[in-house]
Amino acid sequence: MKVVIGVVGNDIHVVANRLIELSLGARGFEVFNLGVNTYLEEFFDAAVETNADVLLISSLNGEAEGWSREVKLLRSKYKTLDKLVMVIGGNLVVGTASAEEIVPKYKKYGFDLVFHQVDLNTGLDALEVYLGERKIS
Amino acid sequence: MSRAKLLIDVGSTYFKVSTPSSIEQHFRDFNKDILDDLTHKCGETIHAYKKEDIYICSSANGGLSTLIIGITESFSLKYATNIAFNSGINIIDKVLYQNIQEYSVPSDLIDVVIVVGGIDSSCDIFGEPLFSYLKMLKYSNIVYVGSGKDASKIQEKIPNLVVLPNIIDHRLHIVEENLKEYLTNLYQLDIEGKEDIKNLYTITANQIYSTPYIVNQTLPFIGTKFSVVNPFILIDIGGATTDIHYSKDLVDDNIVTTNEYDRLVFKKLGVFKSKESLIFSAKNNEFVYELLTHLKVTENIFEQQSEKALQVLMQLALFLVLCKISHYKKAYINLKLLSINSIVLTGGITKVLADAQMEDIISFFYKKILNSNHNPSVVMDHNYDIWTLGLTNNKG
Ligand code: B12
Repeated sequence: MKVVIGVVGNDIHVVANRLIELSLGARGFEVFNLGVNTYLEEFFDAAVETNADVLLISSLNGEAEGWSREVKLLRSKYKTLDKLVMVIGGNLVVGTASAEEIVPKYKKYGFDLVFHQVDLNTGLDALEVYLGERKIS
Repeated sequence: MSRAKLLIDVGSTYFKVSTPSSIEQHFRDFNKDILDDLTHKCGETIHAYKKEDIYICSSANGGLSTLIIGITESFSLKYATNIAFNSGINIIDKVLYQNIQEYSVPSDLIDVVIVVGGIDSSCDIFGEPLFSYLKMLKYSNIVYVGSGKDASKIQEKIPNLVVLPNIIDHRLHIVEENLKEYLTNLYQLDIEGKEDIKNLYTITANQIYSTPYIVNQTLPFIGTKFSVVNPFILIDIGGATTDIHYSKDLVDDNIVTTNEYDRLVFKKLGVFKSKESLIFSAKNNEFVYELLTHLKVTENIFEQQSEKALQVLMQLALFLVLCKISHYKKAYINLKLLSINSIVLTGGITKVLADAQMEDIISFFYKKILNSNHNPSVVMDHNYDIWTLGLTNNKG
């Protein structure tokens, strides 16, 4: 399975993203790391070039909130991304808010899986379960 | 010890002849073959030099044209665009493959079509829509630099397809060398294949290069002739095109390359051969009327044929090109113009405008478009030193 990862917007927090690259690699995924400071269009474009199965976006400083509003519109312009699984995680707001509030909002933005301040391994376990279920159905 | 050299640059509008002590510039006579024109106007100078000591470069006819078909803006199209510009090739159109059926097919003959997309492990990227589009397109060469897995399948369908290694590597980084070498060779062959240029080999024993290539080679040494403070941009406004050379640190980009300097060409912003399209872009820029007022002229100036009219056109070209690379317009590339310390101007513009006229436009641009008092130093290459430096450093 191919996964494109990176940190969205002007966010420069590198550490989590590097850990994500390593963990996904250890779990047998083929990882394409776009690094920090990545714009939405680059994420989708990378998914096209690599023919990725999963797009996993991180946000640590919280600016994902702003970018995510554009996800649906932008994705609709692509003709080859119908099967792409979209995941987001990290600190998904600026300031504080509860997961109950945040998760539905991001799902509405177009993400399949949303992990607000969820430990990485917990999140990636959930991703693997999700991908397994999709395969069966 | 190096011997005295004679340097000749053949442009689309002028040619220049430079000796260690002087530099002459002549307007070309388009009824004459270049060699005849040259020997007619500068025969004595030319005959005073041995073939081995004469170096020629040419930008006449503006270089080769390309059309790029890629699958994303941020990777395949962007990388191929970057390599094409750096090889001195002009881009006629860029086609995003998923929408290929919506593009109109250019009627001009394209010198080289570039097809690119996907990392090597991706496959089944291109299909029937590509082949139908290519059937309608007139082109002389076609090169494939996309996913290696698809290469043989595409080759079966497209006769004469040249296949080179992918320009996108497995980490989504750009790999320039192969395509660059291919395009540079094509350009070189094209220059040499032009009857006009072939004739020039009767006066030189050295290889004739393309002018943008020569200028680009000079940039790392620019400090030896001018007091330029890094980072800088170099703008070459000529008769047919406007070229910008810039250092890589001025771009926020996902392109990782080994080149220190990149180049952009604006084919439609020249003051002679492409005057009409220059005026057209000017009329479509919302700030141009304000600029004309600032210059104390009206748009009637576009209809006039005078020294003043030429000056205004040059000033417009400078303004428009700055707009095109600034964040004001989302373009192929936006340079961090607030970080530059010097703007170097070369080419025909330095013969037409006084230093103050150029500085005036630059500060107008910074104030109006970038709302800033930033004031990079303006360095004028009045004597074509950049070109001289390039030709003498580049001995082939
Ligand atoms: C180090 C750090 C910095 C360094 C970054 C250095 C670098 N290049 O990486 C510097 C000093 C530069 C910095 C700058 C800023 N920072 Co800072 N920074 C931190 C800090 C202290 C640690 C981050 C870190 O590396 N943690 C280690 C990693 C491994 O953990 P993590 O990031 O929390 O990620 C875990 C999970 O979130 C999860 N995860 C992450 N992504 C994903 C994705 C998925 C799918 C899943 C399942 C899980 C997951 O997995 C990781 C491991 O469990 C945090 C506070 C903190 N203690 O977390 C603040 C913090 C992230 N920074 C913050 C802020 C506000 C900033 C600045 C805006 C500060 C400022 N005013 O200038 C700037 C922003 C700069 C920018 N453009 O992005 C805030 C963000 C607040 C918010 N979202 O509301 C934090 C939370 C501090 C705080 N409590 O206010 N910062």
